[in-house]
Amino acid sequence: MVDWKKIRADFPVLQKNEVIYFDNACTTLKPQKMIDAVCGYYENYSACAGRSIHRLSNRTDEACAKARETVGKFVNAKSDEVVWTKNTTEAINLVAHALDFSERKKVVMSNLEHHAALLPFQRLATLGKIKLEFVHADADGFVNAEEWKKRIDSQTALVVTHHTTNTTGIKSPFAEIIKMAHDAGAMVLIDGAQGAPHSKIDFKKSDFDFFAFSAHKMCGPTGIGALVGKYDELEVLSPFMMGGETIESTTLTSMKMLPPPKKFEAGIQNYAGIIGFGAACEYLMGIGMENVEKREHELAKKLYETLLANKKVKAYGTHDWQKRGALAMFNIGNVDPNQAAVMLDSMEKIAVRSGLFCAHPAMEHFGVPKGAVRASLYIYNNEEEIEKLGKALEKIAELG
Amino acid sequence: MICFIALFVFAIMSIFSAKYRPYARQAFDCVFRRMTLRPCNTTLEEEVKGKTVGWLLGKNPAAAKIANAHWEAISWLFTAMMLVSFAYAVAGIANFVVYGNCNGPEGGFCIYNGIANGLQNPNLLSAPNTLEGQRYGNANALVTVVEFGCFSCPYTMAAEPYVEQLCLEYGDRIYFVYKPFPLPNHPYSTEAALASICAEKQGKYWEYRKLLFQNQSDFRQMGEPLLFMLANEAGLNNTAFDICYLEGQGKAQVEKTIEEGKKSGIYGTPTFFVNGKAVVAPKSYEELKAAVDEALANAK
Repeated sequence: MVDWKKIRADFPVLQKNEVIYFDNACTTLKPQKMIDAVCGYYENYSACAGRSIHRLSNRTDEACAKARETVGKFVNAKSDEVVWTKNTTEAINLVAHALDFSERKKVVMSNLEHHAALLPFQRLATLGKIKLEFVHADADGFVNAEEWKKRIDSQTALVVTHHTTNTTGIKSPFAEIIKMAHDAGAMVLIDGAQGAPHSKIDFKKSDFDFFAFSAHKMCGPTGIGALVGKYDELEVLSPFMMGGETIESTTLTSMKMLPPPKKFEAGIQNYAGIIGFGAACEYLMGIGMENVEKREHELAKKLYETLLANKKVKAYGTHDWQKRGALAMFNIGNVDPNQAAVMLDSMEKIAVRSGLFCAHPAMEHFGVPKGAVRASLYIYNNEEEIEKLGKALEKIAELG
Repeated sequence: MICFIALFVFAIMSIFSAKYRPYARQAFDCVFRRMTLRPCNTTLEEEVKGKTVGWLLGKNPAAAKIANAHWEAISWLFTAMMLVSFAYAVAGIANFVVYGNCNGPEGGFCIYNGIANGLQNPNLLSAPNTLEGQRYGNANALVTVVEFGCFSCPYTMAAEPYVEQLCLEYGDRIYFVYKPFPLPNHPYSTEAALASICAEKQGKYWEYRKLLFQNQSDFRQMGEPLLFMLANEAGLNNTAFDICYLEGQGKAQVEKTIEEGKKSGIYGTPTFFVNGKAVVAPKSYEELKAAVDEALANAK
């Protein structure tokens, strides 16, 4: 049994600020243990990894290797299947630019994808390097497996899908998609930015080809993320960025690349970020991702009950809280979403996101091209905070 | 529309702090787009509206509803008010440069005088050292009220009923001293001050003073002939008045009080010192009375 009050006490921002933080889909707050790990690197052994052989360098090397192992363990992947990237966006771009589309040109994705997933492939399509096709979601925000089936065929090189959307918190039917894609000989790239923080990820069992995620959305530091890929698939990928620490040997005219994951990690790495990423994974594994999922389910129930009790609140996507995470996208009467967000902050110190959430086509799909308000919860939030949100929304709803 | 005001405010604040520059840029972008008949594509307007309506919602929900429903109209109103204020301020500066007073040739109290002197704060004024001037009341009273005034100044004239009421109400409990402080930008101000001293020499100062203020707009236009006519009306000996005025017998006294006024830091008339505490251009009798009551209470 997890003591969620104790968990809340782990986050210094909540101790130092009187704030209700409901902007976790953008970035989560950071626990003291993770902050200590990052500061510990800078305070105690701030050196390069892998290049020098002095004691401080060795210590950085060991800490980074341990972090890679921990992050791998977090998603049930081998440590050499974990490639450090700046964030989810860079991880997706890495696949987009490193995958060979010469034989199969078709890439399939849903219309609900985040710009991080949409734009790299849209650009390739514009340049004529791939053929991009979309699967459209239904009115509730579900992208049915049947729809995917219509698009995935023998010409498909890659299927790109979110694990969980950043607009509605609904999961993609990725198990069925993966089977379809693999049956057709295509690979699958999962945008796990909103999945990894909230669900137990089993890279091996789920048979993902690539899984991209960011540390900062799951209690980790900003500026670090990972692309987890099947080792043999990483081996055939050609890096789009070269530099120090990516090669075994080189002459002026040729080189021999290191095996994955090193061949993708050019230049000095974000060591503090890597170490912090490992600490964040350790922290969440300490709580147990099953417990995180269970707690978020409780919060999602309360959140939806509260929102739907207000007749002027229009929530987008399915209203069945059991089919989504503790995330809600909504508007209040005719009040502009940005105005509503500012009002929630100024009236009750409730931090929410407003706008289009870097998912313009998805927002068009839900009929809100001018945007909405998004409340996204995490493990340190509680029912009392949701009630305060409900009361604040009642006041705002009076405006019209 | 609120972005017009935001641009003005943030542009000024940006001079002093870099943190306001992104807001100023947003406001500029918004204004530019509005002026080119395109919708504003920043969230600045919503942010300002959200903060304002949110604040109002906590204070007065009905007012919040009105502000929310009529935001655009209210924004237009405030923008228009800002533009009008801005136009007035520019006109005032232009007048100040040309005439030395923000009201133009009309003259009157001008805040730029204080700004120009760096002394617009009444707390920085200091009371004169002497009680020389035209006096009324009990020299041993606990409270002394000193007025630096200009007979040609509309604001001194506006405050005259307060002086009369004060003398009537407090009688021997106060000692009133008037120090002429003719402002150069007011027509015939020095002439009126000199004439008032000549009237004093004949013991008819207060009668003449009353006529000066009653006929201020006329003598500002007609000048000396009217000052002589008023002397006649006040029952002064014309010959003695003529000699006094033409010889400039009051000149030294007026120059002395001007010097005193400058030392006291006077930047507008009328300025009162109630037991040393400055009251600049009181807007009501109550304001002056409150200062006197306070001085009386402190003196007891």
